[in-house]
Amino acid sequence: MGETGSQPDNASGKAIVAEHLSKIFTRTKGTVRRTKSQIVAVKDVSFEVDYGELFGLLGPNGAGKTTTIKMLTTMLIQTSGKATVLGYDTQKDFTKVRQRIGIVLGGERGLYTRVSAIDNLRYFADLYGVSPSVRDKRVKELLQFMGLWDRARDRVETYSKGMKQRLHLARGLINDPELIFLDEPTIGLDPEIARETRQMVKELVEKGKTILLTTHYMFEADELCKRVAVIRNGEIVALDTPSGLKKYVTDARVVEVEGFGITEKEIAKFRELPEVLSVSADLGENKQILKIQTPKGSEIISEVQEILKGSRIYDIKIKEPTLEDAYLRLVEK
Amino acid sequence: MSRLRIFLSSSIFSFKAQFHWLNPPMWLTMKFVLSVSQMAFFVFVGLFIAGPEAIPFIAIGNSLQSVSWNTIFSVISITGHDKWDGTLPLVLATPASRLPLFIGRAMIHILDGILSVAISFFFAAFLFGVNFAQTNVLALTLTVFLTAFTMAGFGLLIGGLCFHLRNPMVFANIFTYALLLFCGVNFPVQNLPQIIQPISYIFPLTYGVTAARNAIAGATLFDVSLLLGQQLVVGLVSLMVGYFFFQLFERTARKTGKLEEL
Amino acid sequence: MPEALRVIYSAFRMAMLHWFADPQWVIPNIIAPFIFTSVALTLFKDSTGPFGLYAVLGGGMMGMWGNTLYASGFAIEMERWQGTLEEVMAAPSKLLHVVAGRSVSNAVFGLTNMLAVFLIAVLVFRVQIEVDDPLLFVTTTVLTLVSVSTLGLIFASAFVLSRSTQVLTNGLETPLYIISGSMFPIALLPFWIHPIAYVLGPTWGVDAIRLAASQEYLSQTFWQGFDVNTAILLDVVMMMAITLAYAGMAVVLFKVVEKRARIKGTLVEA
Repeated sequence: MGETGSQPDNASGKAIVAEHLSKIFTRTKGTVRRTKSQIVAVKDVSFEVDYGELFGLLGPNGAGKTTTIKMLTTMLIQTSGKATVLGYDTQKDFTKVRQRIGIVLGGERGLYTRVSAIDNLRYFADLYGVSPSVRDKRVKELLQFMGLWDRARDRVETYSKGMKQRLHLARGLINDPELIFLDEPTIGLDPEIARETRQMVKELVEKGKTILLTTHYMFEADELCKRVAVIRNGEIVALDTPSGLKKYVTDARVVEVEGFGITEKEIAKFRELPEVLSVSADLGENKQILKIQTPKGSEIISEVQEILKGSRIYDIKIKEPTLEDAYLRLVEK
Repeated sequence: MSRLRIFLSSSIFSFKAQFHWLNPPMWLTMKFVLSVSQMAFFVFVGLFIAGPEAIPFIAIGNSLQSVSWNTIFSVISITGHDKWDGTLPLVLATPASRLPLFIGRAMIHILDGILSVAISFFFAAFLFGVNFAQTNVLALTLTVFLTAFTMAGFGLLIGGLCFHLRNPMVFANIFTYALLLFCGVNFPVQNLPQIIQPISYIFPLTYGVTAARNAIAGATLFDVSLLLGQQLVVGLVSLMVGYFFFQLFERTARKTGKLEEL
Repeated sequence: MPEALRVIYSAFRMAMLHWFADPQWVIPNIIAPFIFTSVALTLFKDSTGPFGLYAVLGGGMMGMWGNTLYASGFAIEMERWQGTLEEVMAAPSKLLHVVAGRSVSNAVFGLTNMLAVFLIAVLVFRVQIEVDDPLLFVTTTVLTLVSVSTLGLIFASAFVLSRSTQVLTNGLETPLYIISGSMFPIALLPFWIHPIAYVLGPTWGVDAIRLAASQEYLSQTFWQGFDVNTAILLDVVMMMAITLAYAGMAVVLFKVVEKRARIKGTLVEA
């Protein structure tokens, strides 16, 4: 299939190039009367990942994250589109891709539970073509790195969830890949272990690895990723740095002003400002609270102080938009 | 052995989930293929070793034995299935009397077993030339029904005995195959060593097989009534013993709280 | 090439580790052959003729094959359930090599099953097994095992795709024992089955094994008019030719299956 001797196509200089990937599954249902249905898991996904980047694929369950990862890791052949990983075409040169990447799908499954961690890693090392001279040493190093060395000879079925997750990670690194795919690495983990996992991911990037990570935890993407692609219903609806994504949030921020001596006159003045979308007031006896909706956010404070200079200002609260708001906004549409 | 694998995979996974692809046409095909191939195997072996006279003997014997797959295996798998599914504690928690409950569930397998026997008779007649012309239909029908019923009771006994085992399926497998050796299915019980022969009479199938042969040869209901009576007794005894073991097990489980693990 | 061998060995080792973890699984594989052999031997008690050899060899064959042919299906099912099938297929190594490694381990167990049946026949039933040419006997047995394993590879490729295939092929087990003439001569079977029998590699192997065990069998072999050693040689040649064809088919099938699995994505459920 043209695999041997093909050179990597690194004209783009990118670790991953996904071009209009789509994946449609055909499912047959029913026992007596069988009906065929088409499930569009991924409609149209395009993005690029740089070398050394920690890239996030963020989206709710069923959005197509896992399917996309499977296409990029050669586990699935796309219905249309093209994916180039480390310069190799995922469909044609899939063996070359597989040799150079690590895949961590995680979870309770995916490990040989009746044998030890060492045997698990040794096996996959052989499947990934790790040379014998290097293999045992690397297995030991990885297990030590993951803090599993003293339990290395125990059967994996005796491991806790966190230990299994670490073993998954170790397995994903067994061929010392330059690019690692992590599918929901912290899902279902205790906060403590999840934090450890994220720390490990950061360390890997510091070592120069490229990582593509999928998650549905907003804060995780915010914390770890240089850039994030938000995927919904099989399509990418936004792709930006985390701070860039925050700008997608609702146009209005709420500037809450608590003061005394604020009257309708001041309120009218606020409404006159072009950037103010609306003002609502709670004018009490001892205290008045204004809620000013404006896209300007904190920038409006100077105007607030100007208009209210004859009154007393007790407190100004500005509710900054969170990435959570951005994400929810994006996936709700 | 092939059935073991079918049922092993289903006992490990959920029954329904496993069989979602098993549409009725495929199920029927499996039924036909499995019963005829076992019968064919022994018919040819018998033909080779003992000559053509052995054919009707073996064919009828295997026909009756086919009931055991549905009854023993299925009854065990019901309870085994419950165990794996985690619903057994719930089932045992209901005040409903256990016996009718299990019999009710076994009913479908009893009927399935009778169907297997019928299919096997069909093959015996048309593939292997067994002569059914003299058959006393009443006697044969009752024999088949009683055999299915008593074997279900026997299945309950085995289920009760190996309930605490991690893999009751292995025992189910052993027993179903053992029937081929002990119940006069492929050769008369008298061929077995003297010491072993008494074992044969624990199995309800032994009586059923002989009664069936007699009925097909023309024996009347009265002629086979003794055998059927013995079969009924053996069947009821195994039912009661099996029931006793289930009760015992249930009591132990309540004491030790070990229901789920077992 | 050495990498392929490494993968095969690694898969073999993994299968052996699993066996040692759960040795009780060996029991189901011996039950049917043991019972079938016992039935045959009990039937044979009052008759004359080479039936003893047939019964014991037949049972041994069944013990050897049942495990070899279908254990791979069961193992694949376990891997699918464990979630490791997906990961194995995502690795750069060829799936064919992984399954081949497992087949080797199954063949080893098949041999032990065969020995178990033999032992029971000799100890319990007091059958006298005299082997004319032990070296040839062992050689032909091993070669037949190779043939059966290769046939098993073909089945295994279908198992990867779907569970339903596995159950379907389970139903083929007993028919295979019948058609291959392991417990009785093929001559007894209806004539239309004969061509199917001769297409199966193991059929020739069984013939060779019997010839190696007893010269008397010469009267019943396919190769009438030849001497024993020539007949054995001819059997082996036929078997190996067919086995090579199986191997070729397996290589192609695995490529096809792997690609199909990547398109359909049916590794986790199905």
